Amino acid sequence: MGSRNIFIAIVAVVAIGTGAWLSALVMAPAPVPNTATVLPVPGDLAEFSLVDQDGSAIGRDVFRDHWSLVFFGFTHCPDICPLTLQVLANARQQLAEAGQQPLPRIVLVSVDPERDTPEVMKKYVGYFGDDIVGITGELDEMRKLTNGLGIFFEKSRLDGENYSVDHSAVVIVMNPDGQFQALFGAPHEAANFVHDLPIIMSSQ
Amino acid sequence: MRYSSLLVTALLLFSACSAEQAPLVASDVVVARPVSGMQMSAGYLTLSNNTANTITIDRVASPEFESVAMHESVLDNGISRMYPLDTVSIPAGKSVQFKPGGKHLMLMRPTGDVDSATLEFYAGDALLLTVDATMSD
Repeated sequence: MGSRNIFIAIVAVVAIGTGAWLSALVMAPAPVPNTATVLPVPGDLAEFSLVDQDGSAIGRDVFRDHWSLVFFGFTHCPDICPLTLQVLANARQQLAEAGQQPLPRIVLVSVDPERDTPEVMKKYVGYFGDDIVGITGELDEMRKLTNGLGIFFEKSRLDGENYSVDHSAVVIVMNPDGQFQALFGAPHEAANFVHDLPIIMSSQ
Repeated sequence: MRYSSLLVTALLLFSACSAEQAPLVASDVVVARPVSGMQMSAGYLTLSNNTANTITIDRVASPEFESVAMHESVLDNGISRMYPLDTVSIPAGKSVQFKPGGKHLMLMRPTGDVDSATLEFYAGDALLLTVDATMSD
């Protein structure tokens, strides 16, 4: 075999190998979320005027420049709300340990702004982590945010002066453009967030 | 070897039975410490009825809280709702779980900065069971 033939053979082997590699790359199915529903087109939010746990004015831009996990609840909720916040904090911790970058921020939006003043929200979210954002404010402005995300909430009487607030139990994923990107339906498990979030966050 | 295993099993069964002679037994008791500044907390436990009759709890009290209520969280078509429960019945020989996301005790307005709580379960005026719980973070 002459040197010319050897060269042709090497080129052929490299070409076949590259082709096989490329086809494997193209044919391999992209990982898909197990539980999250990803919106075909991310949704923009209408403007709103609320406050964070420090009492600082915020609008829809509060969701910009971060991936956010947004949960709706209230501080007088002893069962589901702490449970969900613990699941989200646990998922975030697992993602951090797995080296995920960037990490999503956890945001609690109050569906009971009447009792959840910024001071109350600050104590509450601080209990679950250092970098959890609490959002509260006037009810009318809150409706602008929740209606835009398809979130239902209404007061329900318990006994005497006590009331609870029935509310949508979804966790919404906002992308760094401040858009509604995906949602997780309840009941929530940390493993679902740990599996699906890196896929959602890398797809944008 | 086989006989010694059987003996151990028999001993375990015997000790388990003798530990559950009380008509109503609490296990897996968890009372969450109220979040800083909050006026409420949740209590969870399993109640086992060792009698041949249904036991119906219609009141729970605690000296460490001004008010205790039995509630149930329900996920209803994606909506999280919470209902008050007037009574909770434990069928003969069965257990009922109070657990996160389901039935729970709603403990309201702690009387002080407490590290433990005593839970008292009543049927009418009869105090059926007293459970001491350490607050967990």
